[in-house]
Amino acid sequence: MTLFGADDPRWYERAVFYEVLTRGFFDSNDDGTGDLRGLTARLDYLQWLGIDCIWLLPFYSSPLRDGGYDIADFFTVLPEYGDLADAVELVEEAHRRGLRIIADLVMNHTSDAHPWFQSSRDDPTGPHGDWYVWSDDDQRYPEARVIFVDTEKSNWTWDPTRQQYYWHRFFSHQPDLNFDNPAVQDAMVDVVRFWLDIGLDGFRLDAVPYLFERDGTNGENLPETHDYLRRVRKEVDANYPGRVLLAEANQWPADVVDYFGPSGDECHMCFHFPLMPRMFMAVRREQRYPITEILAQTPEIPDGCQWGIFLRNHDELTLEMVTDEERDYMYAEYAKDPKMRRNVGIGRRLAPLVDNDRRVAELLHAMLFSMPGSPVLYYGDEIGMGDNIYLGDRDGVRTPMQWTPDRNGGFSKADFARLYLPPLMDPVYGFQAVNVEGEQRDPSSMLHWMRRLLEVRRQHPLFGTGSFEVLDAENPSVLAYARQQGDDLVLCVNNLSRFAQPVELSLQRWAGKTPIELLGRVPFPKVGELPYFVTLGPYAFYWFQLVDP
Amino acid sequence: MIEPSALAAALTEYLPKQRWYAGSDAPARVVVERLEVLHDEWPALVWAVVAADGVPYQLLLGVRVGDDDPPDFLHGHDDAVLGTVPTHAGPGLTYDGTLDPGLALVLLDCVTKGGEQATLVRPIGAEQSNTSLVFDDRLVLKVFRRLHDGPNPDVEVTTALATGGFPHVAEPAAAWERDGRDLAIVQRYLTGSTDGWSLALASLRDLFATGLSPSESGGDFGGEAWRLGEVTARLHLALANAFGQEHPTPPGWVKGIADAVRAFGAGGGTGTRQGDERIERFVDRMEALQDWGAAIRVHGDFHLGQALRTDTGWYIVDFEGEPSRPLGERRRLSSPLKDVAGMLRSFHYAAEVGRSERDAPGDDALVRLGEAWEQRNRRAFLDGYLATSGIDELLPTDVGGLATVLRSFELEKAVYEVAYETDHRPDWVAIPRGAIDRLLSG
Repeated sequence: MTLFGADDPRWYERAVFYEVLTRGFFDSNDDGTGDLRGLTARLDYLQWLGIDCIWLLPFYSSPLRDGGYDIADFFTVLPEYGDLADAVELVEEAHRRGLRIIADLVMNHTSDAHPWFQSSRDDPTGPHGDWYVWSDDDQRYPEARVIFVDTEKSNWTWDPTRQQYYWHRFFSHQPDLNFDNPAVQDAMVDVVRFWLDIGLDGFRLDAVPYLFERDGTNGENLPETHDYLRRVRKEVDANYPGRVLLAEANQWPADVVDYFGPSGDECHMCFHFPLMPRMFMAVRREQRYPITEILAQTPEIPDGCQWGIFLRNHDELTLEMVTDEERDYMYAEYAKDPKMRRNVGIGRRLAPLVDNDRRVAELLHAMLFSMPGSPVLYYGDEIGMGDNIYLGDRDGVRTPMQWTPDRNGGFSKADFARLYLPPLMDPVYGFQAVNVEGEQRDPSSMLHWMRRLLEVRRQHPLFGTGSFEVLDAENPSVLAYARQQGDDLVLCVNNLSRFAQPVELSLQRWAGKTPIELLGRVPFPKVGELPYFVTLGPYAFYWFQLVDP
Repeated sequence: MIEPSALAAALTEYLPKQRWYAGSDAPARVVVERLEVLHDEWPALVWAVVAADGVPYQLLLGVRVGDDDPPDFLHGHDDAVLGTVPTHAGPGLTYDGTLDPGLALVLLDCVTKGGEQATLVRPIGAEQSNTSLVFDDRLVLKVFRRLHDGPNPDVEVTTALATGGFPHVAEPAAAWERDGRDLAIVQRYLTGSTDGWSLALASLRDLFATGLSPSESGGDFGGEAWRLGEVTARLHLALANAFGQEHPTPPGWVKGIADAVRAFGAGGGTGTRQGDERIERFVDRMEALQDWGAAIRVHGDFHLGQALRTDTGWYIVDFEGEPSRPLGERRRLSSPLKDVAGMLRSFHYAAEVGRSERDAPGDDALVRLGEAWEQRNRRAFLDGYLATSGIDELLPTDVGGLATVLRSFELEKAVYEVAYETDHRPDWVAIPRGAIDRLLSG
């Protein structure tokens, strides 16, 4: 099996990503926690499903006070997850199955347990004395906002050992590295090189806007930060062609594009954050404008760049960066809508967010897979897993993957009490009702549907790299768009309403072509000069390939 | 090419079959006032102005000679065929030329004097008084059918607003004028738009299906209504800017409304003696005001169907005013609250029509839901309107006065609706009658 896009350094433009929590996927040694060997053991499943690239949440040594985003050693694996040899085996086995694998990397800060920080606080004049941002008072950079307002009062925290304040944009146990120090810059490039040498296909870069601090600025998106990203990109291009940098910058699309670099010389990919809540809002409002508005405001991106788009991920539905934009109506709509408001700041999985309506889940995935960008799936959503909001805001969507109806959902043979989190056991979403084994046996399951859709998507590279054009439709509940690349032309028609809907599409320019519905390959009546009439069932969608007779 | 007399004979039968023909019966007398060949090759495009019992209409006719079969685009459009008319080259099949894609492209070239070209054209269906063609999903050409001497308000207002930088109208690209009459306008096509009426009905269908309160239901329209109110206020500020404002005391519309409402009462409109008394009380209150707010150019026929939602917010279209009213009246300055009242009446219609779609007659729960939807969106629209900075300068300063003026225009509109529905849709007459009762009780 050849690696996905082995001969194409721009594979990420048409890949489907799959986000995995190592801890939650599969436990190979019966200790109640998922591990790298467990993930390796389940690669066959991911290959069968048809995804192209795994995105691993942090697996580095960590005190786990922030889900592993508090890294205590960039070069070792968290012992619960295994060791470096397991990581090497995972990468090799993934590649053997044609799957790529990228991993989270936090460059902005470390855990306060990291030896660099311990050395820096103990010995201000030692080798790491200047590796973090220290100050005698806590007054500098007043323009920088506090991001985690619920837990942090200030971006400065007093360190009794060094008798100075240290700077942190996130939790106080996550001191920011001092990127003004060339040694820090070099050290982070070493981290990148280390993991790319092992064979990782790239990184999802966490919290990139905050690397540098400057007086009189809010410390976000500074030119120095972009300069550094360009340096990392140069390193990747020169020595590791075909590896990818995916930036997490939770900002408005017009601002996020800066992280691609003006000529596409920074990150290969950036997440498109505002699209996701708007897809949910569009289905709720039964009209397309929440989606088409944000697409109309999304700028063109440089050649070789791609958006990462998603419905759900490991974090809560966040409006943090979307809210204070006057041009955006989203906040007003959310603030007024009790159901949407309840979901802000609470981690919910897709299925419970859509009231377990499979038609809606399928529609949302069909849109995700056909809109401009590379889709990112969240583990478990392919089988319609639920969540447990009583576990706290983030753990609620990090429960064990549900493999079988057996003990612990087939995730682990450990005693139930030893599991890192209890698996879901409720009658609707519990592992007895929702699991991979059951859905693999059921040809009409969500899982089989998803696999088929991924198969169709793979046959048409235009879903990743083709042009995108929203088509005129008088019916506000219908969202229709055309994707085109060369001779390949696909028309996507989505019904956002709970009711059946008709739509007349003006397809004159394609008169004479025959639409073939791609899931069933059924030919539809030929396109003529008159408006093309389509009826859609509740939450239905069509992908029509338009072919010459 | 064609003899006017030959045309006139065919038109007596042709005109009554056209949607845009305003008369109810076949005209007794048709005079071809003007006839000109715009495109002198086959198929030819002929421009004509014809007076049907004195009312002038614009025709754009296609003429084909020598074809055995009627062209495909006429399939299913029998009413668009005038018949065969003698021409210098033999008998010519004569038909509505706006349906002919080739001639439509010629027409665009003509109207824009060569300024705009296109490759694809399609008609917009379901239009009453005009004919519109969309070119390349980029431009829309509106052909006015019934002609008036003097400026067409749609051309006049749209052009003035766009020139003044008001961003919520489709910018004009060209206007076509002959003999002092506006004949057609070409505007940017608002691609991806849907009208407010469709959006409101989508919201209502969701509401009635879920049975939740309007604010809790997924299809809530409140945000849209608020933003529409804001755009409406900006429209009024732009109109005041472009056409000026006056502060007559009392304004002319006061008498107009008083007369219309009294005539309604005198004609037994309310059906009760009590109704007549309520009308008098109402008129007294309106006439007793000291401050009626400013008079400006207004939209004049403002309702949900005249507002288009696009990816960049609401756009306002169709500034012709109520086509059945005389041109002078439509161009007269009035209170901006006339438009506000028009939209509020439209919310009432939407709620009633949405409910009637799924009515189980006498389902009180649906009635209450519909009323709650109307109230929520009235409030949201007014909030958005009144929150717009500067709008208060056009309105009565006193809150009570503002409410009275607003109610006066709602009443006037509802009285007009009763007459209209009685003539055209008797089943719907209960909608404005209910509104009148509500307005007079308040």
